[in-house]
Amino acid sequence: MAVYKRGYRRYQGHLTGYWSRLLALPRFAWSRLMAQRLVVIVMMVSLFWPLACGVFIYVSNHTELWQGLDRGFTRFLEINPRFFVIFMNFQAVFAVLLAAFAGPSLIAPDLANNALPLYFSRPMSRADYVLARMLVLLGLLSPVTWVPGVLLFGMQTGMAGWDWFQLNWKIGLGILGGFLLWITFVSMVAMASSAYVKWRIVAGGLVLAFFFVLAGAGAMIDNILRVEWGSLLNPTLAVNKIWRWLLGAEALPGPEAYEHAIALAVMAAGLLWVLNRKLRPVEVVS
Amino acid sequence: MSAVIELDDLRVRLGRREVLEGISCRLGVAGAGKAIGLLGPNGAGKSTLIQTLLGFHQPSAGRARVLGVDCHSQSRQVKARIGYMPENDAFIADLTAVSFLRLMGEITGLPRDVALEKAHEVLFHVGLGEARYRAIGTYSLGMKQMAKLAQAILHGPELVILDEPTNGLDPAARSRMLKLIREMKDNHGMSVVLCSHLLRDVEEVCDEAVILKAGKIVHHADLEAERRTNRRFVELEVTGDDSGLFEVLREHGAEGVNEGGGHWRIVLPPGVEIDSLWRLIARLDLSVHRLTHRRDSLEEIFLKAVGHLQASPGQEPAVQEVAADGRL
Repeated sequence: MAVYKRGYRRYQGHLTGYWSRLLALPRFAWSRLMAQRLVVIVMMVSLFWPLACGVFIYVSNHTELWQGLDRGFTRFLEINPRFFVIFMNFQAVFAVLLAAFAGPSLIAPDLANNALPLYFSRPMSRADYVLARMLVLLGLLSPVTWVPGVLLFGMQTGMAGWDWFQLNWKIGLGILGGFLLWITFVSMVAMASSAYVKWRIVAGGLVLAFFFVLAGAGAMIDNILRVEWGSLLNPTLAVNKIWRWLLGAEALPGPEAYEHAIALAVMAAGLLWVLNRKLRPVEVVS
Repeated sequence: MSAVIELDDLRVRLGRREVLEGISCRLGVAGAGKAIGLLGPNGAGKSTLIQTLLGFHQPSAGRARVLGVDCHSQSRQVKARIGYMPENDAFIADLTAVSFLRLMGEITGLPRDVALEKAHEVLFHVGLGEARYRAIGTYSLGMKQMAKLAQAILHGPELVILDEPTNGLDPAARSRMLKLIREMKDNHGMSVVLCSHLLRDVEEVCDEAVILKAGKIVHHADLEAERRTNRRFVELEVTGDDSGLFEVLREHGAEGVNEGGGHWRIVLPPGVEIDSLWRLIARLDLSVHRLTHRRDSLEEIFLKAVGHLQASPGQEPAVQEVAADGRL
């Protein structure tokens, strides 16, 4: 019978489980994000650098292509932790850009349209909502970060052989762990910005400002006070140092990687505090 | 049969202020398809009570149970069985009504295909069938109210909580909304909690009503019983010597309260018509300035409960504050 003829009937069938309910939010969000041209363009552009790195790995593993070149250049072609750190730094920037474009459309519209009571009056807690929104961003950022990173590592392993893998397996784990750490942090920044500001464009700007302003403030503190701890405020530098430690690359001067990790954890706690304050079904005025 | 809502010395504190001050009551019978009206002046705690039932606020003391399940410790189970229509605009602006309802259905636990089917079905039911592929952000206020009702009943909840459902509706849309609410309880066996400032809406739809004032229940009325008595309320304004009116009314089985200045509130028992009253007034040689009559009693009950009226006709004026257990 046609739907308009049969009238309303109460649903009394079975209900789906926790993960089906939770993953409905990311599914709807991804389909809306993929309809945004800017997000698709940034995503496509961010895959050019992994492609170039793939070509580089191919060339570096075919010695017949660069026989007769000087030693300095052959050292440049070597695939080592430094190569992967450079790859990761580029992709980290794209991850931030993508989060800045996609993140604000996740929470800000729900706040602007007062949709949170609708979510929270269903079997969905605030933690579930944050997790669902986080999964949207993790799903979006993964194809431009750890997925191409692990693929490049696999490609290098396939071309360089088992011996290379035995010596460098930590790089693979470092790429996976390092990128997961970064995209989780970037997702939290994007969500907190989106929850803090109801306007999408301002929220996007706030994501970028978070990274640039903190980096600038850290550099200012270092230069004015002639100290080194100001760089702890710089999340991009912090994650770079953590990656170098994970991949076994040459360390940069300044505070140690663990100190940067603590600084990142403090920032993440602050972002969670913002989310906890802002994501409430009703606003309570004390 | 468990009660739809069971409150046991429920206290809710928001910031430093205690908004609900230890309320206890049992409202409705689960599965009976009855509507409960929630009334009270602004700031009485109606919305806080609803939000506590939805698990938005944690009770500072006492307990609230919905359909026999604790609202705080088992809030997920409670939420799976209720539908909520908030007072303010609440939607996802750039989604079409079908997508919006489908999403709401899926996060409530409907399987994907069922959620889509129900979204279409319920949109036709509330009269938005032709507009179901339009973004909700482009809807008029009345259409948004209907979309909010649709998302509340999409999954076939046992209890539907409606917060000011007729807000901003024109008379035709209001009438349609009330008809849908009546159908929900009469045809589909849903229990309904209707929170409204409009006494007429509660009077038309509800079977019982609870009146809140300053965080306490000040009255719990069985509207079905009130309707059965079929009494007629009259407001009368006369000039002349009306000292004998009270006795004359009593002789005819009617009750009246003289509010001074020739103002009277009178209750006519079933079978006594307005004509009889006119004759009584003529007998006492009084001039009538105003005579209005109505059958609903809720306004009377409400005004008395919130302290705007000393007493109902035929009753002694209340001399002390009403008790927190809901009895006047």
